[in-house]
Amino acid sequence: VPPDGSGRQRILGVRMTDKPIDEKRRNFLWGMATGLGAAGAAGAAIPFVKAMMPAADVLAASTTEFDVSTVVPGQLVVIAWQGKPVFVVHRTKGMLERLKGHDHELKDPESRADPRVQADWMKTTEQRLTRAIKPEYLVLQANCTHLGCIPLFKPTPGQADWGSSVPPDWPGGWHCPCHGSLYDLAGRVFDGSPAPFNLYTVPYKYLSETKILIG
Amino acid sequence: MIERMLNSPLAQWLDERSKVVQMIRAHLLEYPTPKNLNYMWAFGSLALTVLILQVLTGILLAMFYKPSAMATLGGYTQAFDSVERIMRDVNYGWLLRYMHAVGASAFFFVIYMHFARGLYYGSYKKPRELLWLIGVLILLIMQGTAFFGYLLPWGQMSYWGATVITNLFGAIPVIGDFLLQLLRGGFGVGDPTVNRFFSLHYLFPMLLIGIVVIHIHALHVVHSNNPEGIDIPEESTIPFHPYFTVKDGFGVGVFLIIYSYFVFYNPTAWGLFLETDNFSPADSFQTPAHIAPVWYLTPWYTILRSFPDKLMGVVAMGLSLVLLFFIPWLDRSKVRSARYRPVYRQMVLLFFASVVVLGYCGHNPPTVVLKLVGRIATAVYFSFFLFLPLVSRFEKPKPLPREI
Repeated sequence: VPPDGSGRQRILGVRMTDKPIDEKRRNFLWGMATGLGAAGAAGAAIPFVKAMMPAADVLAASTTEFDVSTVVPGQLVVIAWQGKPVFVVHRTKGMLERLKGHDHELKDPESRADPRVQADWMKTTEQRLTRAIKPEYLVLQANCTHLGCIPLFKPTPGQADWGSSVPPDWPGGWHCPCHGSLYDLAGRVFDGSPAPFNLYTVPYKYLSETKILIG
Repeated sequence: MIERMLNSPLAQWLDERSKVVQMIRAHLLEYPTPKNLNYMWAFGSLALTVLILQVLTGILLAMFYKPSAMATLGGYTQAFDSVERIMRDVNYGWLLRYMHAVGASAFFFVIYMHFARGLYYGSYKKPRELLWLIGVLILLIMQGTAFFGYLLPWGQMSYWGATVITNLFGAIPVIGDFLLQLLRGGFGVGDPTVNRFFSLHYLFPMLLIGIVVIHIHALHVVHSNNPEGIDIPEESTIPFHPYFTVKDGFGVGVFLIIYSYFVFYNPTAWGLFLETDNFSPADSFQTPAHIAPVWYLTPWYTILRSFPDKLMGVVAMGLSLVLLFFIPWLDRSKVRSARYRPVYRQMVLLFFASVVVLGYCGHNPPTVVLKLVGRIATAVYFSFFLFLPLVSRFEKPKPLPREI
């Protein structure tokens, strides 16, 4: 019998009722049945989606310990944290000195533009300048905030070592080879760079005098 | 509701360009279905349901599984370790793996019931021979898929099962060695084997989906058989929707309850679905004390070992499957349903019993008694095909009903 109830009146030998179809009741049942079925399917989809999120062993590898005293003065070391590169620079007195005097050329000299460029410990003006818990040890995410390339470390001032890839008044810092973004030795981005923000901070703390825990 | 959706401007726009609405109407809503189908007819849509579950869980598992027999620091292999990682570290990985493993057994159970339905009610007879041929092809592809998949966890049973089965092909004269190396990609089952088996385990289900579509198309050309096995007029049919969407839906509900019991409470099914020995990592220097395939392949395994000659065993096993293709032509009776064929009915029930007994024998160690039982069951299995062309000569069918 078609759903509208016309036509034959016997199904499987059972005499069908002559009463007209109660459309309201039928729609209610249809809604309940399909609604419950849809809810069940949605519930069953949860494990499938959650399975694609980071697994327990991935989460367990989410912190990295590192001894910053292994980095000699002036050196950059790239270490892995959650599979991503992290810059650790041991800045000399001279390098820290060269952070000053070019605030007017920076997009965000005090690192306030985005939560990702800040940190809880970043309170004083000095800390906002050096962007480090201990000024000599800078720890930052190694990816350009533009599209994620790893910038090249060009720590010496001027064009002597770097040619025209950096401006003549270069105070030292990073130069991204992908799209030319420039950062100073605190990872602060220069005006005119395609990168929107300073290099992102990573959550870290000192476990001892020289040992840090990232993550 | 459905009418409103199918009449919506979007559906109409699609229909004018693809006839999709017409297809939905013809194959899902209005498809004329015999009004007297019993629950044995639910296994077709159940098989489709399990296939979808297997594909979905399989895609997810493939995101975490590593097809490599390379040794790891823990002393096992990447493949074995990645399965353990799925069980322990991946979110809901245990659920995905158990759904997939239980699903494999569920798939075979459903398909075997589907086959039994076809044999009992004569669904393979004219005009449904092609439908039957495609069905047997689907079974063979499924068995291949299951065999390839069982190697992947790289446990003891995976390893030795694959060793034994690939050696079967090595028993074939002349091309045996060639086939053996082609399958293994080395001189024994090893890293190249698990790598290519993973590729094939992903390929075969794709073939399966395509062939299932052809199977359903072929069905919708000749329409469903029915328990009485007679040709029926249009008036004896009812539309697929809502009558059989609801009935099949109820069948899916019952199936999912049983499926969930196994997935959540008994995923190894007493060692039937996931064999106990397979929780030990593969060791090429040590064969497990008792080695048998998973339950759904044991009937054919018993036929293999019932012959005292290596080549004969392999040939018999191949023949036991190939003969299924010929059933529509071996059976010469015009009457379809076993309800009206007293002799065939006894024969086909005996055939089902022989498959169950063969399965039991293959699952257990080949003791003196079970060897004998297995041989008798093998004889019964083959005699079914032998008597099939003869039975119609003397069998007097009961009078057929004129309508259902």
